Amino acid sequence: MGSDQVAERLSSLTVGDSPGTPGVSTLLHQQRREPVLPEQALRLTRPTDGFLCPLSANKYKIDFREFEIKDYDSGESLFHVKRDPEAALPTVPDDIDPAMEAAVRTVRYTFPTSFLGRKTIRTALVFSVGPDPVPNFRMIERHYFKDELVRSYDFNFGFCIPMSVNSWEAIYDMPELTKEREEEILASPFEMRSDSFYYVGDTLVMHNKAEYQYKD
Amino acid sequence: MGLLSVIKKVKANEKELRILMVGLDNAGKTTIVKRVNGEDIGSVSPTLGFNIKTMRYKGYALNIWDVGGQKTLRSYWRNYYETTDGLVWVIDSADHRRLEDCKEELHALLSEEKLVGATLLILANKQDIPGALTKEMLTRVLDLRKMTSRRWHIEGCSALTGEGLLQGLDWCAEDIGSRIYLCE
Repeated sequence: MGSDQVAERLSSLTVGDSPGTPGVSTLLHQQRREPVLPEQALRLTRPTDGFLCPLSANKYKIDFREFEIKDYDSGESLFHVKRDPEAALPTVPDDIDPAMEAAVRTVRYTFPTSFLGRKTIRTALVFSVGPDPVPNFRMIERHYFKDELVRSYDFNFGFCIPMSVNSWEAIYDMPELTKEREEEILASPFEMRSDSFYYVGDTLVMHNKAEYQYKD
Repeated sequence: MGLLSVIKKVKANEKELRILMVGLDNAGKTTIVKRVNGEDIGSVSPTLGFNIKTMRYKGYALNIWDVGGQKTLRSYWRNYYETTDGLVWVIDSADHRRLEDCKEELHALLSEEKLVGATLLILANKQDIPGALTKEMLTRVLDLRKMTSRRWHIEGCSALTGEGLLQGLDWCAEDIGSRIYLCE
């Protein structure tokens, strides 16, 4: 996937309120979603079916602007996507067709195969928030390979200042994979998946999915 | 992207320290963090929120929270005091005009109850600029001797040349380490 395509996907992940008042179909759609608390997200053992909150739940207008993955030791950039800050956020109605919604809210990453051999990586995320103070912002990310939980991450950003632009850089040690495991992952494109849940307090405000393949 | 077991291992071996970095705008907070981390410091723009950076340093995992220092942002600093192990106050030592402002903000910060237990490192940045006040002068001007019950240290430094940064950070990490991991 070219970086332009990824940028397009990234921008479509951050969607503001839908225009106008919600229609009946929107309400029905929302009723199907039970609120999921952070403790529950931390107990999930396989990717969710569908999304656990509507796009319009992002009422704090949290917007991802830039994401980069670097090799920690060499500083080499392995993946970088930046959205034009002037570009308007697309709006998507809540009563969007589920298949369309999945396409809009799922990012597909293609990493070079050498990615699996990296010892330590650094990820850098830049995001902005809207005019309201965000009291307790938290990200929970669950990674799966073929429906088996392989990694879980839980980070508390805490408070975000109104209209602020913030950055977060974290370091991850990559697992040492056995030859068999590595071959299995290489032979299973997009069966490495993740669910990212973003909470403000106990309220789920965003839920995105990602799928990964490793290919040269 | 480690496995669950890997994350546990990192947590067990590395002692996590939370460092809050504040000071007036244009003091050089973000540039200092970038310099220490070995990044390009050519294109730093004013911080309009926070920058969180995790760094490995002498067996510690430092979580550095660098929060913007513009006047409109200062009233939000209080939201970041909770669980702070170390406080780093950064000064533009060549900004004579705002020393009084700097002194007021620093002493207001130190009166915050949530920061009473935090180790305080003062970085007298921009020592490379001719006319910059030395750390001895700043100790006097900022009335630092007034702080009798707190563990504090002032270090002259330059984010441009890198001078003094590691000495300051060393002291900060050692001081926090001796304090909170004493019982291990």
